[in-house]
Formats: sequence, structure tokens, C-alpha cells
Amino acid sequence: MEGLKNNPIVKAIGTQRLVAFIALIVIYLAFGLLNNKFFSYATIVNIFDASYYIGFMAIGITFVIATGGIDLSIGTVLSCSALMAGYLNVSKGLPIVPTILLCVAIGALFGLMNGWMVSKMKLPPFIATLGSMMLSKGLGAIVTMSQSVTWKSSTSEEGWYRNIFRINSQSGVIVPTGFILLIASAIVMAIVLNKTRPGRYILALGSNLEATRLSGVDVDKWQTLAYVFSGLFAGIAGVSYASIYQVILPGAGSGFEMDAIAGVVIGGTSMSGGNGTIAGTMIGVFIISVLKTGLPFIGLNTAWQQVATGLVLIIAVFIDVCNRRRKG
Amino acid sequence: MKRKVLRAILCISMAGMLLAGCGNNQSAPAATEPAEDANTEAEELGTDAQEGASTESTSNEGMMVYLVSKGFQHQYWQAVWQGAQEKAKELGVEVQMQGPDTESDIAQQVQMLNTAIQLQPDAIGLAALDVSALNDGIAQAQSAGIPIIGFDSGVPEAPEGAVYANAATDNYAAGALAAEETYKIIKDRILSTQGSVRIGVMNQDATAESIINRGLGFIDKMAELVIADGKTVSIVGNEKYVNDSQVTDKGEGGNVILDIAVPSKVEAALSSTDAQTLLNKEDILCIYGSNQFSGEGLVNGDANIGKLGKDVVGVAFDSGTVIKDAVKAGKLAGAVTQSPLDIGRKTVELAVKAAKGESVADVDTGCQWFTAENMEDPSIAPNLYD
Amino acid sequence: MEGEKVGNVILKMKGIDKSFPGVHALKGVDLEIKKGEVHALMGENGAGKSTLMKVLTGIYSKDKGSILYEGREVAFTNPKEAQEAGISIVHQELNMMNHLSVAQNIFIGREMMNGKIINDGKMEEESRKLFQKLNIDIDPGEIMGNLTVGRQQMCEIAKAISRECKIIVFDEPTAALTETEIEGLFKIIRDLRKKQMGIVYISHRMDEIKKITDRVTIMRDGEYVATLITENSTKDDIIKGMVGRVIYEDPKEKSNVPTDAPVVLKVENLRAGKMVKDVSFELHKGEILGFSGLMGAGRTETARALFGADKKDGGNIYINGKKVEIKTTKDAVKAGIGYLSEDRKRYGLVVEKTVAQNSTMANLEAFSKGFFIDKGKEAKTALEYVKKLKTKTPGVDQLVVNLSGGNQQKVVIAKWLIRNCDILIFDEPTRGIDVGAKSEIYHLMSELAAQGKSIIMISSEMTEILRMSDRIIVMCEGRKTGEITIEEATQENIMYAATKRD
Repeated sequence: MEGLKNNPIVKAIGTQRLVAFIALIVIYLAFGLLNNKFFSYATIVNIFDASYYIGFMAIGITFVIATGGIDLSIGTVLSCSALMAGYLNVSKGLPIVPTILLCVAIGALFGLMNGWMVSKMKLPPFIATLGSMMLSKGLGAIVTMSQSVTWKSSTSEEGWYRNIFRINSQSGVIVPTGFILLIASAIVMAIVLNKTRPGRYILALGSNLEATRLSGVDVDKWQTLAYVFSGLFAGIAGVSYASIYQVILPGAGSGFEMDAIAGVVIGGTSMSGGNGTIAGTMIGVFIISVLKTGLPFIGLNTAWQQVATGLVLIIAVFIDVCNRRRKG
Repeated sequence: MKRKVLRAILCISMAGMLLAGCGNNQSAPAATEPAEDANTEAEELGTDAQEGASTESTSNEGMMVYLVSKGFQHQYWQAVWQGAQEKAKELGVEVQMQGPDTESDIAQQVQMLNTAIQLQPDAIGLAALDVSALNDGIAQAQSAGIPIIGFDSGVPEAPEGAVYANAATDNYAAGALAAEETYKIIKDRILSTQGSVRIGVMNQDATAESIINRGLGFIDKMAELVIADGKTVSIVGNEKYVNDSQVTDKGEGGNVILDIAVPSKVEAALSSTDAQTLLNKEDILCIYGSNQFSGEGLVNGDANIGKLGKDVVGVAFDSGTVIKDAVKAGKLAGAVTQSPLDIGRKTVELAVKAAKGESVADVDTGCQWFTAENMEDPSIAPNLYD
Repeated sequence: MEGEKVGNVILKMKGIDKSFPGVHALKGVDLEIKKGEVHALMGENGAGKSTLMKVLTGIYSKDKGSILYEGREVAFTNPKEAQEAGISIVHQELNMMNHLSVAQNIFIGREMMNGKIINDGKMEEESRKLFQKLNIDIDPGEIMGNLTVGRQQMCEIAKAISRECKIIVFDEPTAALTETEIEGLFKIIRDLRKKQMGIVYISHRMDEIKKITDRVTIMRDGEYVATLITENSTKDDIIKGMVGRVIYEDPKEKSNVPTDAPVVLKVENLRAGKMVKDVSFELHKGEILGFSGLMGAGRTETARALFGADKKDGGNIYINGKKVEIKTTKDAVKAGIGYLSEDRKRYGLVVEKTVAQNSTMANLEAFSKGFFIDKGKEAKTALEYVKKLKTKTPGVDQLVVNLSGGNQQKVVIAKWLIRNCDILIFDEPTRGIDVGAKSEIYHLMSELAAQGKSIIMISSEMTEILRMSDRIIVMCEGRKTGEITIEEATQENIMYAATKRD
């Protein structure tokens, strides 16, 4: 264990995660000092609200990035699954429980398709998922005839589903249940990635696909699984998005994947595969949602959020690169 | 003998036709006669129509009206589409409608207009996102002799003669209506407050003319009403709105501060954040969301804060489930609704008239203020879509 | 254990045939492995050794023939099946997951579990035991990517051995190992032989074959040639079998460089990173200067620093007596230095482009008119050099990827000659090139030297160094540890310098 700690690569990953964590704290404190309302409970819940859909997507795509691949489709898969399932619920009377399961299942199905295209058809992940990005965007719009879908309101009979991600009681008590769910998912998936066979094989094939294959591991299966995770979590992100924002616009999800990818990279997962850190991913996601929520608080347009995220991304990765270079 | 020659010529020419037309007009010779009949029929009917004046419905056979909207994603456009289809059925014309993915996809709308012109419809209905970007297309339609009817917010500042008429909401007036109704609710609090109060104005973007006008209509009217009661007004926030408004005092100096928010992109999370930021300001009195997206952002942003309907007056524009629920629950004091059904109907009606060369004039499709009390009124309910 | 008797046949491959699109890789090859023997598999590159082993371990399926393993007919469809049956392979290319720990690598595909959770602690424990047994000093918790290539190779070997196996295949295991590591490996192999394992040993190093193996099976062009008892055969017998003729491999007797030849390149106290420490040497006109040393001695790093490919920490470079600043590869090319990388496909050639395009790549300005490339001139010059170097290609429009290794190397040489480079650095010029083509490259290098070009040749093959060099620089761990004239050079004194550590 001691050797592992002293190891330059492990240390480097550690530093980037540390830098990201410090950045998160500094950004949060800075906003709070500039506007003390920022420390209020409601604002914290607002930050959480803005982090769920990116957070769930980011957990999933961490697995794909760990294989050395990329999934560009998660943003549009989010909106596609939330549109389709929501449409069946609102317009066709599908009960809410199957609706939620369907939403997740559609996401997983897209993931399966991506995984199959990458592992079996040997398409480059960028191309395969670019294709399914367009496919899911189009299908979502076709099924709903290009309309927005408004999921059920809290007041309606089936509105309880919104409590999965946030309980707003009549008495004004707010419980960010989604946060608990997000962190629980992150912990479970971190264990899956680091402590179970599927995770081990995903990391191994991301490090050296051929070597993993020659070790007698069914790499196609595990590579596919990474994409299924990615799609599945995009589906979960769809449910979280619907329960927080209620209205799904067709094409709303385009661009969300970039936020998720940025979160993963800020957190210290390398795009070349072989490593992955869910904890880092969560830090990255919260940096983005703190920036998203905080910049308007200090009187800056939300466009600055992208400028700031871009800077954090570049600085975090640059520090990591410097660190590695110094160590040789 | 003569017959044989004729037959041979016929055969050769038919073969030639088949080759030339790649065989898609196999039944061409047979189809000629009925077609001619139809033409004469149409001519006869046309004369009838000119003479009889009122029988417009029967003379529109084969006529096609093509609507290029600003988008499809808001239910609002579905209501427009519904109205257009109703009218088209009534008039016996064909109607098609296309719209870009989001209301900021200006380039996509330019493409759609170009496609529409290629299809050579009898008239085009257009709700422009950005007129300058569409100018080329509009000029093309003009030279192809396809009349354009503006709808929704229409085609403001279009080149002379291109747009025959508009079936549109006067957005500036609609914004002003929202301001008037809002002022009734908040007047006492403005006049009784010693320090400053803040009125937030949330807009989806600073590019779509209709949204800008709704924002400016609200801003200008509100300022006018406040000043008339002897208080001062200043304006802060998004530059486009700040510069285009008639409020001269820029900054935080007025008794009433108009605070303009525009998200960097059309994304629900960002709009919610804008609302939260406004709601967290000490002196906030009232927030206006100038379309469905901003109204929803306002309602969603308040979810964890819970000030709307209590300390802060919320006002929105358009409807949709979220806004209707919020009005019903008292979170929003009210909202302005346009008449999307009417817009759809009037657009098709004007388009058909223009296509037939009749003179047409602008129609204001109007707008209405609705609250929890009058939501169910038969004059309002049909315009409130889910 | 069953079959204590030495000499029981455990594996019999008979008449194995395998074709790939356009290539008949194996033509009825036989191979017989007995328990407790080390069996060498020899042949030139492309003779089909690796393919045969891949058929055995289920990576490829055979088209024809039979495999009898422990008396049963088998046909493995994937490496896992072969492993489960007890056949392990140590691949020629390193097959490691660099991001995972040593223990995680060793147990990949058969992790020790605690329910659904992987028990990394236990795996490290087991690896430690295994390393102790093999006398390897590596921390199982270390990340694989941090180990030297030689140590990674040892891990790969440990991984193969750690499985319950009856046959173990070593595919060129010593390419990246130091002398001590090779000795360690041989000890392990002898232990395995004692345990009645069948061992297949693929190598090009004749002395290793003589030292460790019991029998040799020779292949040529996908065909089975013969199986010999190692003890009873000479090097020449084996080489003759491999190439079908006797190859002339005598060392050079004396330097071909006149004593008064001017110094074209002088390097003083070159320092770069950890691998180049105060290296100084001179290169004369028309000389072939051999750079010898073990893997990781810093020879390639020296060349790269000299060529401006890596950052220098200090030192002076003089060309024809004039001091030059070489900061980038462009500076080096301008100064007339050409570098022929050991990894042609990665650094020397754009294999998806034509012979002509590759030939002119380093000197494109000379073949351009304004923005456009003068295709005619390009083709003419490329053809000229194809003839000059006797490159075997159907034409200058041929894609380089379709040429053999030796001819690809000629295209790289043409590239630098066209650029008018007077100093050429050949880094492992014959790696991956078969014996026949090798002598052609040697001939070409001698010819270039005779024409007055000066050559630095980095080589790990002792025979190559002794055959080609006029003078030899030996390096060890980043330092120059010897400078030997060809007249004095022997394998022994080179090896002595190559292992002269601090």
C-alpha cells in the first residue's frame, strides 16, 4: 500500500483531484463571501438541483471514458428517454412507475446499441455515439411530434415521483432526496469500478485492450457494459431532469454531455482510458453546478459559467500534466 | 396505313417519354382528360367565386399553405398548428408547418424558409426569429410571387411589399398589458416602500424580436406607470434590453429598479438560476417571465425558495401545464395569454386570400390577462394549452 | 503428479495450415513438445512461429491439421480456453495494463473474490509469494506503468507461470531483459523443466538457444523444416535451416576509415534527462560508428537529444568544426543530420502514403512550386532512389504499408538521402527485417559510408555491431562506458563495458 501511495501516477491523479476539490471549496466560499445569501439552505438545494442530471450522466460516462472511449449521445439520450416515457405517461396514460422504468430502460437500450457498435461493429466510439446522438435527438422529436413534454405536476395524483429527487413539503421543509440518491449511486458505482470484476475489466481494457483480451477476458462484453452504464445513467438523469424541471424540450439535452465530460475530466479521469475516479467526477460536477448557480449571484451572466468552467478544466488538467512531467 | 404510321409514331414517342421521365408518368396519356376536366371545372368555379364572392371554400382545391414557425417545442405552437389545421380543413386547403428545434436556431429557420420556397406553395406563413437573416429568403419568395403572411410576432421590418399582412400578437402591447395588470397588484407596495424595490424581468433570449418586444413593452409601460405616480425608475441587467428601453437611468439608483435577466443559452437550469438570483435579492418585489420558458424557469427557480405568491409577485406570459398550475396555486398572480388558436386560423385565412390575389390587411389577434379567477371563462380557456 | 517419466509427449501439432487473406502463413507445420523439455522454435521473421503459437493458444483458428494435447484432440477458440486447459503464453509484445497494479495484472481474468468484491489484498499477497518463489524483487502493489520494460517482462512471465499450466510458451522473452534478468529467467525455466512442464522457447539469439533448449524446431516461410537435438547441432546447422543457405556473419576485420578522415560531428558532454549523462564522442567522415549497450542504456535517448527530438540539459555539438545549436528536429535536419527511428512505422514513415510521398517528405520545399507539389519531379527523384537503393516496389505509387520491412527501411534511407543528409543515425536498422533483407541493408550502409556519408548505428545485436562498425561506443545507464576500435573489439570487451555500472 505504501508503494502505491508513493507512486507518481497515483500521486498525480491524487493531486488533480485535490486541486479540483480545493477549487470547489474556494469557488463556493468566494461566491458566499460576495453574496452571503449563497450560503443559505435553499441555495445549496438549488446547487444540488442543477447537479443531478449532469451528475448521473457523469457517473455513467466515467465508465466509458475509463475504457478510452467517449459517449457523445448521453445528452440527447437524456432528453429522448424523458420525452418518450413522459409522452406515454401524459398522453397515453402509462402509469408513473413503468414510465420511470421505461425512461431508464430507453437510456440503457441506447447504451447497449452504442456498446454493440463499438465492441462488435468496431466503430470508433466518437462516430458510433455521434450517430446515436443524432438518432436519439431525432427519435425523441418524432415520437412526441416535436412538442415539449411536461411531466406530471407535484399536485397531480402521480406527482409523488418528484419526491424521488426533492421533497417540498407543504410546511416548507425541503429535503434534497436527489442528493442522497446521487451520492449513493456514486458510492455504489465507485465500488463497481474499483472493487468488482466488471470495473476491473473496464479499467484493464481501457489500459490495454489487446492485453486484456489475451488474458482471457471477454472484452466485448465489458466494453459494451461500460456503454450500457453510460446510457442507463443518462436515463436516470432523464428522470431527475424531468422531476426537477418538469418540462422537456426536444433537443434540450444537446450539450449536456459536454458538461458531464468536463466534470469527469476536471475530476481527474484521463481521456486516454485506463483510469477513472467517480469521486473526482462528483467534484467536477459540483464545480460546474456551483459555477452555474453562483455566477448570477454575483451579478455575472450565466455565459461566464462556461468561461469559468473552461478555465477550471484547462487549469486542472494543466496542473496534472505539469506534475507528471516533473516526475518524469 | 395512316393509322399504322400514327400508331408507330405514338409508340416511339411514348417510349421516348418513358425514357425521359424514367417511367413515372406511365399513365400520363390517360390522365390528361380528367385533368383538363378539372381545369375547366376550376375555371368555372373560379368565375363562380368572383361572381358569388362568398363561396371561397370550394375554390381552394389543391392550394397549399406552408407555415414556417419559430419552433415546435412549446405547446403554444401546437395550439397555433391546431388553429391552422382547423381553418385549412374549413377552407379545403392543404397546410404544412415546420419550425426549428429551438427558438435560437436562426440558421435552421433560414433553411426551412428556403425549403418552403422550393416547394412552391401558394402562400407562406412566417414567424420570423430574426428578420435580417431571413431577408434573402423573403426576397426570393417575393420574386417567385409567393405571398408571405406574417404570424405570431410576424415579420417586423420586412422589405417593402414582401409581407402581405400579419396575423400577429402585438407583443409590445402584450408586454404593456402585463405591466398594467401587474402594476395594479404592486402599486400600493411601491408607493409605501421607503427604500428601493426591484422588479425582475426574465427573458428567454435577446435575439427573438417577439421576446424582446414583450420585455420592452413591460419595461416601458411599468416605468411610465411608476413615474406617473411620482417615483423614479432605473434599469440594470442585460445590455440589449437596458439600451433599447426608454428608461434613461441606468443603474441601481431608482425607487424602482428594473432588473433584466437573460440566460446564456436556452437551458432550464440556467433560467432557474436566474430566477433564484432575483428571488434572493433583498428588495425583490415582483418578477415577470416574458414567455413560457422564462415563466417555467421562474416557477422552477422558486421551488426551494418559496417566495412566489407570498413576498414576491410572479407574473408570466403564455400558458402550459407548469404556468397554469402555478396560477391556479396562487404562485403566479396571473399571466398574459395570446390567442394561438386564433393566430393559426387567421394566418391560414389571410394566406388563402393573399394567394387568390385578394387584398389583405393586418389582423391583431390580441391577448388576454388571466388569473386563477377567470381561467375557466369560455373566452379564455380555449387559449390556455397544456 | 501424473507422468513423472521424462519424455512423454504432451503436445503434438500435425499438419497445421492457416491462411489469411493474401497470405498462406502456415503450410502443414508439425510441432511436438515433450514434458520436461525446453523446445526452441526458430525461424526468420515471418516464418510463422508466432502464428503457430497463436493457433495453439486459440487466438487464431486453424484451417487444417490436428492438435493433440495430452492425447486428446483439441481446438481452442479463445485464449481463455487454452489457459484453462493449461497452456500459457508470454507474448513478444508486452501485454500489460499499465494503469493497473502488478498484482492486478497478474490475476487479470481470475481475480480473487470476496463475494462480489475483488480482494486486492489477497492478490498482492499471492503475488508476493510467487515473486519470492521466482526470486523476483518487485512490489506487487506497484503500478505496472512505473516499472522498467525488463521488470514488466518479468511480471508477464510470472503471470504466465502463476497459472496452473502444463505448457508455457515464451515468445522472444529476453528482448528487453538485461544479462542478470536473463540469467534469472533461465533459472526459472530450468525450474519449470524440472517440474515436467513443456516449454516452447522462441528466440533469435543463437547463444540462448544453445544454452537453454533441448530441441529445436526450425520453420521457414510458414513451412516445417526440421527438428534437431540442440546438443548435436551447430549454429550453422540451425541458421542454414532457417534461411536455406549459409549466411556470412563474420565480423569486420579492420576499420575502413582513413586515419586522417576529418571529424564531421563532435558531441561534447551531452546531457538530457536521466538517460543521457555527459556523453562525448566524435564521428569521422565515412565512418560507421556503432553504439552498443543493453536495452535502456540510453543510446536511443542520446540520438534523440542529438537530433533535437528531446530536450537537452547541456552539452555542445559541432558539425564540421562549427558549433551548432540544435533545439528542434528542424535544426538537426538543417545541419544535415537524418534520424532513422527504430520504430519505422511510428516515427519514420507515413505508411498509408506512397513511396514517392514518403521519399520527399523531409525535403518537400525542394519539390514544391508555390503552394503546389511538383508531382513529376517527386516521382522522378523517388524512382531514381528506388533504383539506387534497389528498393523492391512495383512503383513509386505503391503505398509503403505494402512493402516488406527491409524495403520500408530503404524508403526511410531514401528520404534522408534526398534531404542531403551527410550524417545518418540508424537506430536498430534491421529490427523486424528478415535475414535476407538484412544483408542488403548492411551492404547499403557500407556503400553509403564509402561514398562519404557518416553513420551512427545503434544496435542491440552484437553480431551486427561487430560486422558493421568501424569503431564502437558502448553505453551503460546513460553514460559512455567504452570506446573500442573494431580491431580490438570482441563480444567480451563490449559486454564488459555494457555492464560497467556505477
